[in-house]
Amino acid sequence: MHEMSLAAEIHRMSRAVADRNGTGRIEAVKVAIGELSAVEPDLLAYAWEALTAGGTDAGSRLEIEWHAARQTCPRCREIRERAPGSWLRLCPDCGAPLHVQGGTELDLLEVVLGDSEGAGGPDR
Amino acid sequence: MRQIPIGARLLADNEAAAARIRRTFRLGGTLVTNLISSPGSGKTSLLEATVKEMGQGHRIGSLVGDIATERDALRLRRLGIPARQILTGGACHLDARLVGKALADGGFEDLDFLFIENVGNLICPTAFDLGEDFKVALLSVTEGDDKPFKYPGIFSRAAVTVITKSDLLPHVSFDLEAVRGQAASLNPSGRLVLTSVKTGEGIAEWCRLLRGSLAAKNAARAEVSHETRGIP
Repeated sequence: MHEMSLAAEIHRMSRAVADRNGTGRIEAVKVAIGELSAVEPDLLAYAWEALTAGGTDAGSRLEIEWHAARQTCPRCREIRERAPGSWLRLCPDCGAPLHVQGGTELDLLEVVLGDSEGAGGPDR
Repeated sequence: MRQIPIGARLLADNEAAAARIRRTFRLGGTLVTNLISSPGSGKTSLLEATVKEMGQGHRIGSLVGDIATERDALRLRRLGIPARQILTGGACHLDARLVGKALADGGFEDLDFLFIENVGNLICPTAFDLGEDFKVALLSVTEGDDKPFKYPGIFSRAAVTVITKSDLLPHVSFDLEAVRGQAASLNPSGRLVLTSVKTGEGIAEWCRLLRGSLAAKNAARAEVSHETRGIP
């Protein structure tokens, strides 16, 4: 369950962004998670909920952008379709180990901040 | 509402800590390995056998991660090597900051080999770079021969797969060739060593592999410092 450590890291990074921008609350955080990053999206979302509960950022959304890995056969030169999660195997036609691209993403993409408290409206 | 684009690695802090560890041990000429396996596959036993095999001529140290108890560090200290327990207090993996903190207390400089024994877990430790030269995956023959494909994360990232408890092969159905094939398809440049600490099978080969990797690392370092000296 290292998703909890990751959620804590996401919160630490996005809180730093919020503090620098002088606003109270994080509305949403968008992250990129790759299929091969050993992170379970559902567990990460649950960890985020548990971690932010009761604090300033309770109820904020964790939006997960999922990045699948692509498998190409070095011999047939074709992209091989597969069921989700069954990555990195042998080519069904020629038996060669498949070449894998992408899927290792683990990035903080965007932080959405709520309206600043007491910072005044657009007519300030 | 304001959207602020970031674009930063989630593990940037861990990566920075890992880079510091890697730099320290490159300068010191220490080969650092990160041992990952399920609980009970024999990480500490392999380290004990390794110390017995080449502890005479080499300086060896170890950091051992566990959720609770100092048992593993005690076992290794009994063999006369510096060993420090890192207690994660429930966390399922080591990260580079924990390792950096354990190293900061000193006692692990001037080593030939530093073994970082991760928390017993085939999944979570895979995601965290500890500043090692390479990862080693251990798989005991009693765990079953379908594990590389079931845990592709670690078996594709490990430069070396050590099969342990080979003395039990006659008693379990474990297709070694199938495991070899799975490991090779996950990591074509990876190495596989079959070992048993009971019979001693493969221990010399494993130690030869480690000494070869250390020599290669030091040769690369000598080359770099040579080039650096060439710059006016």
